[in-house]
Amino acid sequence: MSGPDESGPSGLPETELRAAEYVLGTLDAQERAAVEREATADPELRARLADWERRLSSLMGAVPAVAPPPELKAALMKSLPARRPDQIIILARQVRRWRFATAGAGLLAAGLAAFLAIGDRGPEAGRYVAVVQSGGATPALIVRVDTAAGTAQVRPIGAEAPGGRSLQLWYVDAAGPKPLGLVQPAASRVKLPPGASADGIIAVSVEPPGGSPTGQPTGPVVYTGKLIAE
Amino acid sequence: MTDDSTLTRLLAKIAGGDLRGIDELYERTAPKLFGLILRIQRDRSLAEDVLQDVYLRIWQVAGSYAPDVGRPLPWLCTIARNRAIDSVRRKREEQVPVYGRDGGEDWMARLADPRDEATAFLDRDALATCLGRLEPAHRDCVVQAYCEGLSRDELAMRFDRPVNTIKTWLHRALASLKGCLEEVT
Repeated sequence: MSGPDESGPSGLPETELRAAEYVLGTLDAQERAAVEREATADPELRARLADWERRLSSLMGAVPAVAPPPELKAALMKSLPARRPDQIIILARQVRRWRFATAGAGLLAAGLAAFLAIGDRGPEAGRYVAVVQSGGATPALIVRVDTAAGTAQVRPIGAEAPGGRSLQLWYVDAAGPKPLGLVQPAASRVKLPPGASADGIIAVSVEPPGGSPTGQPTGPVVYTGKLIAE
Repeated sequence: MTDDSTLTRLLAKIAGGDLRGIDELYERTAPKLFGLILRIQRDRSLAEDVLQDVYLRIWQVAGSYAPDVGRPLPWLCTIARNRAIDSVRRKREEQVPVYGRDGGEDWMARLADPRDEATAFLDRDALATCLGRLEPAHRDCVVQAYCEGLSRDELAMRFDRPVNTIKTWLHRALASLKGCLEEVT
């Protein structure tokens, strides 16, 4: 039988065991948070986690169902409308659809108003403009993008940050959002992420002063706009 | 239990902000998810908070579900399990963990017991076979950790072994499971 001094090799690398133990649920809160943080930037770790989830998931079938108290649902349903679905996820999905599905099929999710590029996509590298706005008629920003130069010019018009917060600009493509910097009171020029193309969306989120601490949007997305060829 | 295509359709509706979609998804899946949460977070009122939090999360991230990441019910169950584990880890680390009051349920018997929902989870027989090949104590550790959300420290108390031994058991068991599942599936 096993003794306390036993530490024989399991034959699996440490990274594999960490992913397995994360899924098993035996890591402490700090270790769990560390795995989650790393997974956001590490597709290999995400794949390992997904593999372990798949391997063990049939054990979830062994756990019997229990009816929750009926009043719980009413409280939940009441709280939902105030909480928007994660719009960045929706946007990244839309871009995937735009890119891989037929042109012009873009259905706008969650009542977001954005400009749609329908039909000819135009040259791969060139000049585009995005009118970035919320549901209303007044544009918040005009963003002129030059994909050949890899830059964008941001001109604020009616963009308003809630008191004490910053507005942060994002370029969102199928891979997710990439920060472009804060929306300034005056016109400014920002660098596009490498590989940015006209398939992306410009989005603006509300963030803590100085911008998102995580490199990903943390607050609600208040404005969006699709790039259209100039 | 609800079939995959119904759940997938509901998730797509929810991703579009449809409240009726989440209403129906809740009706179909909340007992399963609450069962999972309650095994891990045994404080009923905290378990109810976790359930609410899970559906809020589903409401927000339903758009990220794609059939190629796996089947919908395990995807939903995984969100519930992760939230429940986060909830007990936070809670139990604030207090001195007091555990070991029961020896755990016979999860293996439950796994072998065919249920109407069993088809929602793949490879049930393969996992049961491979768990069956482990040393009994190692298997109990893995199964109780997974179903009841026990940490290494809590397993050490329940099995009355040093934490390092538990870690070794878990690592051996997981390595063996991986090899076995590759072999039998």
